[in-house]
Amino acid sequence: MASGFGRLLGGTLLASLVFGGTAFACELKIGSPAVLSGPAAQWGLALRGALEFVAKETMAEERLVIDGTPCTVTPVVIDSKYTAEGAASAMNALAAEGIKVVVGAVGSPEVTGMKPVANRNRMVAMVNSFAKDAIGPQWPNVFHIGPGPSGWAAPIIDKGLELYDFDKVAIVAPNDQGGTDIASVNAQIFTEKGVTAVEEYYQRGTTNFAPIVTRLLAADPGAVDLASSPAGDAGIIVKQLRQAGFTGPIFRLGGPGTEEIGRVAGGLNVLQDFLWFEPVAMDDNLRALEQKHVELMGGPRPENSDFFRWVYAARMMIKAVQAAQTVDDSEKIAEAMRALPVDDEHIGAGHWIGQSFFGINQELSYPFAIGVIQGGEQKDFIRAEAVSEG
Amino acid sequence: MEGFIATGLIGISLGSQYTLLALGFTLIFGILGVVNFAHGGFYVMGGYVAYYCTSMLGLSYPVALLIAVGSTAMLGWLFETLILERVIEDHQATLMVTMGFYLVMATAILMIFGAESPEFSFPIAGVWRAGGVYFPYANMVVLGVCLAAIVLVYWLVYRTNLGRAMRAMAEDRAVASALGMRTKVLFPFAFALATGLAGLTGALVTPILALAPHVGDPVLAFSFLTVILGGLGSVTGATVAAFIVGLVEAYAAVYLGGSKGALTLFVLVLIILVIRPQGLLGKEVRRA
Repeated sequence: MASGFGRLLGGTLLASLVFGGTAFACELKIGSPAVLSGPAAQWGLALRGALEFVAKETMAEERLVIDGTPCTVTPVVIDSKYTAEGAASAMNALAAEGIKVVVGAVGSPEVTGMKPVANRNRMVAMVNSFAKDAIGPQWPNVFHIGPGPSGWAAPIIDKGLELYDFDKVAIVAPNDQGGTDIASVNAQIFTEKGVTAVEEYYQRGTTNFAPIVTRLLAADPGAVDLASSPAGDAGIIVKQLRQAGFTGPIFRLGGPGTEEIGRVAGGLNVLQDFLWFEPVAMDDNLRALEQKHVELMGGPRPENSDFFRWVYAARMMIKAVQAAQTVDDSEKIAEAMRALPVDDEHIGAGHWIGQSFFGINQELSYPFAIGVIQGGEQKDFIRAEAVSEG
Repeated sequence: MEGFIATGLIGISLGSQYTLLALGFTLIFGILGVVNFAHGGFYVMGGYVAYYCTSMLGLSYPVALLIAVGSTAMLGWLFETLILERVIEDHQATLMVTMGFYLVMATAILMIFGAESPEFSFPIAGVWRAGGVYFPYANMVVLGVCLAAIVLVYWLVYRTNLGRAMRAMAEDRAVASALGMRTKVLFPFAFALATGLAGLTGALVTPILALAPHVGDPVLAFSFLTVILGGLGSVTGATVAAFIVGLVEAYAAVYLGGSKGALTLFVLVLIILVIRPQGLLGKEVRRA
């Protein structure tokens, strides 16, 4: 009897220590369904790298303090495999851990899969995706890290038309939402610029694109747009286009990843004439951010420049949590986010947009850049100002 | 007409790659009765070994190719001897073991080399052209190696005592063992031969396409499709099916588009399997 009472007392003491401890601790867990395998892995590695960096920066500089207590920030990253089911499964695992704050995912199929889970579990999320319905009024707590091709394709096409003479473009992309939504928007913008656009889609998982390339060239295009084809796929397509004798300019109006495309294709000489969307224009501020990454993380930033966009997104999320003074009330965090100015100490200021395209003003817009390789030689990035509405 | 010929060349090129993969896959099933889900892993490993030898060690590509074949064959030998042999009579266990081994290989490669594709190009870069018809020299090399591999495998399986012994083991393991044929030597040899072929294909094809830890997934899918179509265990069937798959894939993709092309291929395979469930040249019953 006495020993039973002793065990009860000990258990009560232990429980009070455990629960008492958590009552005063402040921990923000940032969940992330990120593609960490497959041909799109480079994008997910940039997302994971940005989250780890921002978490460490926040703790090192005590940027998140709730009720006077500096919070720890823990990224919880799960491979979403660039699929809707992979992202939904990752989100369910995050929800099971009680995570309410999410940064990611990268691709349209993933974001399509994760949004219903985010709604159901009252999570606030900052997503990428170039899908036509990446965000919307039906997902009030989902924010968008930046415009898709509807925002930045036009100035890149203008630059291409200034440098090269072509009146027909062949657009190639995977035959799922991650490909068709982007390719169709690109086609519309090319058409508005007076360029005839033909669209061609391939099955995700294709490894040899020689037949697709033959079909593309049968349309006799003056230019090719790789749209949102993952970097690994895009590199093979470029290599096989050049082998087939295509000499025109190649656009990639779908996301960064030019380094990997170049490696797979066989170098800048194979890319030859190449234009792409670059998330940021490299300047002294960004070089300072790179240096800060080296100091905090002990190594260089992830190669893909989407890293900068995810740093922007993660820092905005931290600011919103700080303003809301809660790590688990997603409604309050979302409300605080809407009231924040769009600004980042390294990347620059911008504004909220999205009302005209998505029906909800929850898209970050900030300066970006146009990347150009001409004659096999990479040129300086061309800075483009933040897209605005109205 | 030029487009039709060019597409045919692409189909033959695809067929030669699929043949190299399918030969090893079907050998393992034909002789050991094992569906080797780790086949894609040996393909990826072959690619990475060749990449490491050329880019990190500075060896010439032909030497790297030989090392890739040797190392994948050696790993296959060890895997069969130390792990697979223990569960070889249990078909479900062999499926799980080979699948698990593939995951181990893919994850190990991911951890060592990272998820992104490295720069790994075929040493011969030119393209043969005649009007609108073209054929990259690298693909010619693959085709040549493929033809040599077909001849070698046929010679080994049908013209040597070793091949006769392996076929005897495939026909009836108990009787062949009673006649003095040594399972513990022949099975690892057959497995090593097949994984060496997968490694050779990886070392040859990944510099032409792309090298990344995940590229074994579609390779496994296409090897499986080809071997099922040809008839599980049939070397001739796998060869014929590989070229059929390559040509159908090429013509369907060029004339119907990427999405419909893939659909056409799978529908065609489905129809053939409804008519001939044992595949084009497969036997109805496998006894061993």
